[in-house]
Amino acid sequence: MKHTLKYFFSICLVLSLSLAQAQETTTLNNVADSTRTAPIIPDNGNLKTVKLPEEVQDTLVPVKTDRYGLRVGVDLYKLTRALYDKDYKGIEFVGDYRLTKKYFLAAEIGNENKTTDDDRLNFTTKGSYLKGGFDYNAYENWLDMENILSIGLRYGFSTFNQELNSYKIYNSNPYFGEGAALPSGEKFNGLTASWIEVVAGIKAKVFDNVFAGFSLRLNRLVSNKKPGNFDNLYIPGFNRTYDGDFGVGFNYTVTYFIPIYKKKVVPVEVNKKSATKK
Amino acid sequence: MKKLILLLFVITFSFSSCEKDDICDPKTVTTSRLVITFYDVANSSVKKNVTDLKIIGEGMTDGVNFNGATLINGSTVSIPLKTNADATTFRFILNAENTNPALINEDVLKFNYVRENLFVSRACGFKTEYTLDPQTPYVHTDAAVPDQKWIQFIAVKNSIIANENETHLEIFF
Repeated sequence: MKHTLKYFFSICLVLSLSLAQAQETTTLNNVADSTRTAPIIPDNGNLKTVKLPEEVQDTLVPVKTDRYGLRVGVDLYKLTRALYDKDYKGIEFVGDYRLTKKYFLAAEIGNENKTTDDDRLNFTTKGSYLKGGFDYNAYENWLDMENILSIGLRYGFSTFNQELNSYKIYNSNPYFGEGAALPSGEKFNGLTASWIEVVAGIKAKVFDNVFAGFSLRLNRLVSNKKPGNFDNLYIPGFNRTYDGDFGVGFNYTVTYFIPIYKKKVVPVEVNKKSATKK
Repeated sequence: MKKLILLLFVITFSFSSCEKDDICDPKTVTTSRLVITFYDVANSSVKKNVTDLKIIGEGMTDGVNFNGATLINGSTVSIPLKTNADATTFRFILNAENTNPALINEDVLKFNYVRENLFVSRACGFKTEYTLDPQTPYVHTDAAVPDQKWIQFIAVKNSIIANENETHLEIFF
């Protein structure tokens, strides 16, 4: 009983601590904001007469502007995998274009060359893919922050070919001994597949215009042109296929944002919000 | 949003853990054995049980294991064919290991076939489907030490060996 009480209280304490910390960080943010705006004033304010209108401007400054533009980048996971996995070569370029405050047009284009070595099969898949769709940013950014916490949809399409390198015959009665892997070298060309992806992703601004991002994907095949006497066990862009139509994927991206134009966020709302906060 | 990501994680992991396609399901139809049924030569519609039949593949010392025994007593037996050759030879020894050597009788059967390797799945790989040669599906000879053939007649029931649910070969004795 004593122990449970002890745990209970300590957990409460930890929780209260985390709460206190959370509040602290928010106030710290406010402090940071005030310190950020402060240095601007002395820079320009050499003359007292100039200083006054600027202060008037300052009260209006909370007018938020959103930057619109194109973000392009590359999937670091695919790029670096070739360094440690000799059976894999691949690259994926990612891009998105901000359509509205919340919606982004998004696309990925890539090429993969992967040799899969399973217990009973060894095959090489080569091909390219294109994915297009949108992302919805569900994250409410503070001031001029541009972080993204998004959920999106993609339609993916891949054209590829496969080569069966070797295979084993399954024999549940290996009386004459378990057969060794048989070389094949059979090629299956002109294969295609298409699928729908649900994407959950985050992108954080690391420094000026550079974003680091991570996304998780759940895929479902829409069409799959299978070869005769073999199967599409790996589809570029879709990744490994399972018995059903589902698949999973992820990427780790670094992107560069190219600003094209700015849009003001309705100032009235912002003023009201800042007033209530103060 | 965080909940959604968590949910995605959970789904992802459940996918990776529940997926059974890494182990070949024993119920999957893979390489089939040759199913032989024994009939009475005097009354061709009646199944006849063999006694202590031992089937030894060419170049092997142990008998084919059928239902946990190498000495077969019953009217049916399934034997595996070679997946790496177009012919398999077996010695069919009746009353094998009998104390009375006069009862032991050996016949040699060679099966000729063509093979086709068909894709099954990622976990199972490929399977071999055999089709018995339409001209000479089998070659029936007496043992190296002649002791008269015990098999009187052989009939091919199904020349395509794709599953073990049906009889492929009928042996009358």
